[in-house]
Amino acid sequence: MSEPAVELSNCHYRYNGTVPALQGVSCTIEPGSWVAVVGQNGSGKTTLAKLCNGLLRPHAGRVRVMGQDARRQSVAQLARQVGYLFQNPDHQLFAPTVREEIAFGLDNLGFDPAEKEERLEETLKLFGLEAFAERPPAVLGYGLRRQVTVASLFALRPPILILDEPTAGLDWGRTKLLLERSRILHQSGHTIIFVTHNMRLVAEWAERVLVLHKGRLLADDTPRAVFGQPELLARAALSPPPITELSQRLRSLGLRGDSPSVEAFCEEVAQLVAARSEAIS
Amino acid sequence: MRGSGSARGREIGSNLVSPQFDLYVSRASWLHRLDPRTKMAFVTVSFALLLLNDQLTLMVAYLVAVHLLLRQAEIPWSRIRWLWDRTWLVSLMIFLLWPIFYPSGEPVLVGWRFIQITVPSLVEGLSAALRVIDLAFAVLVLLVSTDQTRLVQGLVRLGLPFEWGLGLAIGLRYLPLLHGTYQTITDAQRARGWSPGQGSLIRRARAYVPALVALVIAALRLSDALTLALAARGFQPGQPRSVRRPLRMERADGWVLGASGLLLVAAVVLRFGLP
Amino acid sequence: MHPIVAVEDLHYAYPPLAPGQPPVPVLHGVSLSLSRGECLALLGPTGAGKSTLCLALNGIIPHLLGGSLSGSVRIGGQNTRDSTPGRLSQMVGLVFQEPESQLFTMTVDDEVAFGLESLALPPEEIEARLTESLEALGIDHLRARSPLELSGGEKQRVALAAALALRPEVLVLDEPTASLDPQGARSLLSAVARLRRENRTTILWVTHDVDRLPLLADRVAVLAQGRIVAQGTPREVFSCTDLLHQLGLAVPQMWELSSHVNRLWDTDHGWLTVNEAAEALERRLRE
Repeated sequence: MSEPAVELSNCHYRYNGTVPALQGVSCTIEPGSWVAVVGQNGSGKTTLAKLCNGLLRPHAGRVRVMGQDARRQSVAQLARQVGYLFQNPDHQLFAPTVREEIAFGLDNLGFDPAEKEERLEETLKLFGLEAFAERPPAVLGYGLRRQVTVASLFALRPPILILDEPTAGLDWGRTKLLLERSRILHQSGHTIIFVTHNMRLVAEWAERVLVLHKGRLLADDTPRAVFGQPELLARAALSPPPITELSQRLRSLGLRGDSPSVEAFCEEVAQLVAARSEAIS
Repeated sequence: MRGSGSARGREIGSNLVSPQFDLYVSRASWLHRLDPRTKMAFVTVSFALLLLNDQLTLMVAYLVAVHLLLRQAEIPWSRIRWLWDRTWLVSLMIFLLWPIFYPSGEPVLVGWRFIQITVPSLVEGLSAALRVIDLAFAVLVLLVSTDQTRLVQGLVRLGLPFEWGLGLAIGLRYLPLLHGTYQTITDAQRARGWSPGQGSLIRRARAYVPALVALVIAALRLSDALTLALAARGFQPGQPRSVRRPLRMERADGWVLGASGLLLVAAVVLRFGLP
Repeated sequence: MHPIVAVEDLHYAYPPLAPGQPPVPVLHGVSLSLSRGECLALLGPTGAGKSTLCLALNGIIPHLLGGSLSGSVRIGGQNTRDSTPGRLSQMVGLVFQEPESQLFTMTVDDEVAFGLESLALPPEEIEARLTESLEALGIDHLRARSPLELSGGEKQRVALAAALALRPEVLVLDEPTASLDPQGARSLLSAVARLRRENRTTILWVTHDVDRLPLLADRVAVLAQGRIVAQGTPREVFSCTDLLHQLGLAVPQMWELSSHVNRLWDTDHGWLTVNEAAEALERRLRE
């Protein structure tokens, strides 16, 4: 039984000492899992995410990262194990060239020059940034700036990746690219944690969903289980993707009401129809 | 661990400017209702009074009077303490160093080699120390009872070009945001393994480049976006504008201005004597 | 009937980033028109020129940003080249994506009044229009609050109220819900829907939110690489599957569902909303 990637035990956090952001949150994130953290703005999603890499330290409770108490390590030290992608790419871009921007993290984490060069070239190629390698990231368009920050993170290949609203403002094409690249890492055993509002993304890609509301963890379950509970979603002020809403509407016709995707829905409907025609004949 | 401040406390920038960007405390007192220009006049006269003179009794009297004024205007002790927290050290240093550097008069209390601590110089030192606090409190009276909008409006009525006033107002309004942006930027860089803490002063200064450059770029982007937003709202530099809530001098302003005038005369007389 | 917004063969290039560098062409012959009271949704991949087009509608391009513009943009018959952003702000209101960088005063009422003060209107009229705007967006209770303290959805409603106070006939919304959580997005869009119903405001809505698009939009246009590559009703545009796929643009999930269902049952459905799909499927499954 391997160590959990991240373990939060009864964590509490208050902003400015007064505003409660997290109250008694406990959860265990297994290595190699794909977890989505959802909730309204102000529910504590980002606070929870920041506890996982030491950017915030809980006022009570404990955070363990890969079996070690996070308290003993600084954020920079934890960065070897936990990578964090911030929502706004403009909050970190500073280098004169894309290449140097991506190299920044590699330098900080002390990769040797040969390895660093290799990873740099690989990352530039993987993210289609070769043509822009010598240009300043700050003057590129938003989609490319987002690409550069994602590339900077993925170049480090930390065992755990936390992505805070990575697809906000991206068109579907770029969103899919990001998800597919995350999937590649996921398939090689990395743990992926997404903080997001995009319920379609959650339904179709996540293995587990953590639902937060007013600082408390309301649910910690599979997407199907979470979307199949309309009362839970209503309480957390979340709405399921349209397909799930549809399948809930058609419960009276025999559907389970928790379809996470169009394919799953069609399968269920096809089975229903087949079962009926069998029953008739 | 209490809050995230302890881990961050060692970083340059997070403690230099307190997150308390806006000193304004909203109350409905007569002081709050005064025109900002009146209060600016009060500050100016206070400065004249305190800088032209150095009598200890004056400094103490002013300190007491300004505290009474603030309390009467319902300003909480927390705000008053805030200013004391930031001035006591400088004041103490002045008090301690003054007699050493400006020995004068008799009687000598303590003498050691070439350092003579005399009673008159102690009194002068105390007076100088209190003067600093008095000056700070004079400014506090203005800032604590005037919201930023009114403050800038006052300056514009006194002749500051509107565009400058708008720039000032927007700058003040965005300071907390930029502070927050700076925190986010340092977070993002630390999450990439950045740790600027160690090394010589020069090395540390260079280490802050990733955070500072990102902040400057963010500030530039913000100003670009604001330019567009202003234009979209019909703002045209140089064109005449109306004011929804114009400043108006009331009777109370008259009294305070009159009193300030008298105070100014007193300041000059105290200093230079009657002709 | 003249369209209230008429963009004809618009070409635009931003001035160079640094001296000696070439100008940055973004729009390559955009032609688009909107009739009064219509809501047009503008889709397109990131970098297609959607924001540039928005700025060309209220005169910021070319007056404030310079660059080289050819073709014409007419708002209510008036060519934007012959006007100024100041005057055009009374015809075209623009709401940007980021709430933070378009609210610049200390209180909500000051924010909404700013544009009215820029028009040098007398204080009584400013108050009247201010209240009207705030009530139209259901935020009168937030009047004295600082925009810094509000939620994302509330901030965007303040930005909208501030634009509306100038009583523009055309509203341009540049990804207004991109930075909002779903609840905020819903509240903003229902406020916009209400405005349409009550005032017949013409709306150009730049968005990626294809699932909510059918609730508000009459027509859809697709901008890619500075050109309009598709235009029509939502159904017409979403039927261009290959094009959309190539551009990396999504279709509403219900539309995706109808494609699957059509393959399954050899039907010809084109659902845009959950309601449409639910009704059709209920009928089918009860047979």
